Amino acid sequence: MTAIIAMPRLSPSRRREELTFYLFISPWLIGLVLFTLGPMLISLLVSFTEWDLLSDPAWIGTENYRRMLADPLFWQALKVTATYTAVYVPCELIGGLALALLVRPKLRGIRVFRTIFYLPSVLAGVAFVVVWIWLLNPRGGLVNLLLAQVGITGPRWLLDPNWTLVSLLLMSFWGWGRAMVIYLAGLQSIPGEFYEASAIDGAGGWRQLRHITLPLLTPTIFFNLILSIISTFQTFTSAFIATDGGPLDSTLFFVLYIYRKAFQFRDMGYAAALAWVLFGVVLLLTVLVFRTQRSWVYYGGERSE
Amino acid sequence: MSGETYDSPILIPRGRRRVARYGILILATGLFLLPLCWMVSSSLKPEYQMFASPPVWWPSPPRWANYTEALTQLPFGQYAVNTSIIALASIVGNLLSCTLVAYGFARFRARGRNAWFIILLATLMLPYPVTMVPLFIIFAKIGWVNTFWPLVVPTFFGNAFYIFLLRQFFLQIPQELDDAATLDGANTLQIFLQIALPLSKPALATVAIFAFQASWNDFLAPLIFLQDQSKYTLMLGLSFYRGSLQINWAYLLSTSLVIVLPIVLLYFVAQRLFTEGISLSGLKL
Amino acid sequence: MKQRIHVSVVLSVVVLLITACAAPPAAAPTAAPQGSGTTVLRVGTGDSGEGLTPHQQIIQNFEDQNKDLLVQLEPVAGRDYYARLLTQLAAKAAPDVMQIGDDAVPSFVKKGAFVSLDDCLKQGGVDLSIYLPGLLQPGQVNGKQYLLPKDYSTLAVYYNKKLFDAAGVPYPKEGWTWNDLLDVAQRLTKDTNNDGQPDQWGIQLPATWTTGFEYWVAAAGGRLISQDGKSFVGYMDSPETIRAVQFYADLYNKYKVAPPPADLAQFGGGNSEFDNGQAAMRLFGRWPQSGIKKNPNIDLGVVAPPQDKVRANVLFWGGFGVATTAKATEAACKFLSYYTGEQAAKVWKDWALPAVKSVAESSGLTKDPIEGVWIGELNHLVPRAYTFTPYWNETADPALRKALETVLLDPKADVAAALRQAAQDAQRALDEQLAKTK
Repeated sequence: MTAIIAMPRLSPSRRREELTFYLFISPWLIGLVLFTLGPMLISLLVSFTEWDLLSDPAWIGTENYRRMLADPLFWQALKVTATYTAVYVPCELIGGLALALLVRPKLRGIRVFRTIFYLPSVLAGVAFVVVWIWLLNPRGGLVNLLLAQVGITGPRWLLDPNWTLVSLLLMSFWGWGRAMVIYLAGLQSIPGEFYEASAIDGAGGWRQLRHITLPLLTPTIFFNLILSIISTFQTFTSAFIATDGGPLDSTLFFVLYIYRKAFQFRDMGYAAALAWVLFGVVLLLTVLVFRTQRSWVYYGGERSE
Repeated sequence: MSGETYDSPILIPRGRRRVARYGILILATGLFLLPLCWMVSSSLKPEYQMFASPPVWWPSPPRWANYTEALTQLPFGQYAVNTSIIALASIVGNLLSCTLVAYGFARFRARGRNAWFIILLATLMLPYPVTMVPLFIIFAKIGWVNTFWPLVVPTFFGNAFYIFLLRQFFLQIPQELDDAATLDGANTLQIFLQIALPLSKPALATVAIFAFQASWNDFLAPLIFLQDQSKYTLMLGLSFYRGSLQINWAYLLSTSLVIVLPIVLLYFVAQRLFTEGISLSGLKL
Repeated sequence: MKQRIHVSVVLSVVVLLITACAAPPAAAPTAAPQGSGTTVLRVGTGDSGEGLTPHQQIIQNFEDQNKDLLVQLEPVAGRDYYARLLTQLAAKAAPDVMQIGDDAVPSFVKKGAFVSLDDCLKQGGVDLSIYLPGLLQPGQVNGKQYLLPKDYSTLAVYYNKKLFDAAGVPYPKEGWTWNDLLDVAQRLTKDTNNDGQPDQWGIQLPATWTTGFEYWVAAAGGRLISQDGKSFVGYMDSPETIRAVQFYADLYNKYKVAPPPADLAQFGGGNSEFDNGQAAMRLFGRWPQSGIKKNPNIDLGVVAPPQDKVRANVLFWGGFGVATTAKATEAACKFLSYYTGEQAAKVWKDWALPAVKSVAESSGLTKDPIEGVWIGELNHLVPRAYTFTPYWNETADPALRKALETVLLDPKADVAAALRQAAQDAQRALDEQLAKTK
């Protein structure tokens, strides 16, 4: 291995580096302008209007935002979504990792196991939820039947406002396959030499996990964490299909509320305002997590942040 | 490139640990398979047996016609072709664009790089139901509605999710390799193509699979942009079995199982393609 | 070596891509090809699956008779129909002929989404009297016709003769009362294995379905909203409404003759007891009937819903109209008249109740012991609550739904209190809406 001394960079070549940066990200920048920025800014403008999609939008200033503060359903939606996310994200983070570590070694037939864990996470959302609606049926569903075998009378799951979020969280384990796949890719990028070297030094499984795997996996963990926060705050399908926000708004997820306001109540302006508030919340959280990056994420390639 | 597989013998359990590993695997897969088994068995039940109480474990006789009827009642063959075109295009578009952009974010310093990265992530934070209306209006104005273009073209301009993923991987490739290559006279593009990409095979394969699956399972975008039945995708076809007044459970379940097969097959096969990890010492330029 | 493979793979895929993408845009244009003489009519509908077959048949017949017209059916299933339709309307790219539900008619028409059908009807020589009673009103606003009926349903009680025969209970007859209903249901609710849970239920009810609930309120002699459409207080929590909700909730919780709901997200509660032959009766609309007829567990009979103070029923309706953005208005008109007219009704009748009187009569449906009930109920309709205020959907509906959820899921809930709460919630929301439009 040739040792390279990092030479101090000169200004012209930093400028060249900057140009190269913009060159490489240009496809995204162009797409941003063409497809993304436009709709985002329009929706921001819409949030200051009243629009039923049938007639033209009418400007009403910050009225939507003011209404939001007094809207009990807004707070309910925020509460439901935040609670769900707060539990779901750590579970998926750990669960996905556990699965990935479980299926990592190239044992015979391991591909079958990996595929079995992966399959439910790519089932059509409708099918995924429909299966669980039946499994959680209070009277005829498998879950309560099994609980009855052990002498427990199961709760009414999706029909009991106190248990609906729990039900949705319970069924979510079935979708850990996606996180698992990403972790697997991350695990496979850890050079085998590290393990061999550590084994020579007498390290066992747990030590290898703590001192090699986890530190080197932090970029992947970071990725999964951020993406999980962003996407879980936008949970929609399971609420839409399993409970339609109920009963008693116990599963009124934020994006479901947005969808309802936009297309069932035809109040697109308010829906847009809701969306931008959600945006703000998620952006804040993401930036906070980003700030912590330096203290726990280790990039092998360095010279990053 | 990387001649040796990373799966150093250290990582493969032997003896009792192997048995234990298989044991846990079987338990875990049991948990995952149980709902799946119910799904398969229910997909073969006649409609009136679907929610029989006590539950019917295996329908006798199993109604295979559920599958043939569900798939022929609507032109699922056409839907499959449509969805395949869009999904394959999505793989190509994403691999081409996201690798470039991710590499830019990973390797090159620039003022405002962090700001741009946050903006990148921010594009994921606005819920689709709200942006799809203005997006539709824009596409309607340029006449792309009822074509595949709105679903395919944006994939050639990057996708924040995959860019982020690839960036994480590129960041882990030691800078020393680039420096060594530069000393040997390689330019930026060559380093990108000959060092970064090959070392990121697991990530590239992951992006390919995810892009395929995201396209395959996409519902809202095809719903909005495709109007003519002959252009519908599989998910749109599937949605017909979940009408507002009637849910056709048997068809819904059977069709979902058939639709998921290509993704699963792709994953199963793709594993062979990217189970080679990286090994630092085997690097040759 | 690797680099060459890499590049060639990419190249070949790109080439494949280009050729593949070349196909779809050429396939079907949204606008009619110039000068070809063929006009393309776009028709949007919310029907799904099997329900698309009659559409396609009728379209085929129409195209055979009108060689210069091509009809492009754009179906969307379920609750996503409005998501797409509204998006299209916002971009002024809606289909030429659109289907909407009855409760959407007032707002869509007031906002100018549909053209008045006066000219259309005169030109097409369509005679509005061909329709069964009550089927034109939902498509009218201020006396003008904007939409024509596609399909409809009233409410009725399905009953399983097998269970009645086994218990020796006579079949319910038209004109029966709520007390009769309770009596019959109790006689048919059995706990055969003595585990404290009924194994056979008297009647399967549609849980928290709000629009269907209007029947109960009307039959008790009440109404949910004032005549001028401005007040819920005093109506949604009136003694009659309380009586209706109390009776309904008691069927579930006190007398336990109705199985608890299985899936609140599903329209109608998602119960399957009637289909399994474990419930003797079911109150609902006509939509699941074809499946029920094929069900070997059930020997089907249908009877009008029971009456309380008043005999009442409600109509659920879907109709087609011509969009204001339609370019080929004449052609759209022609198709609309055909689609909802007598010839098409002959195809519709095999799938749903035909709206055209002559077809209903000539095919024997009006006299049929099952179908005749649905059609006969058209004579007992009360106006739907949405006709009194365009803001029903976003004000009263969620409030009523919440009240029903509360009383059904909690046997100890105070019905009167829940309804008072609902009335206040709805009132507040309505006042807010009315203040906005000033």
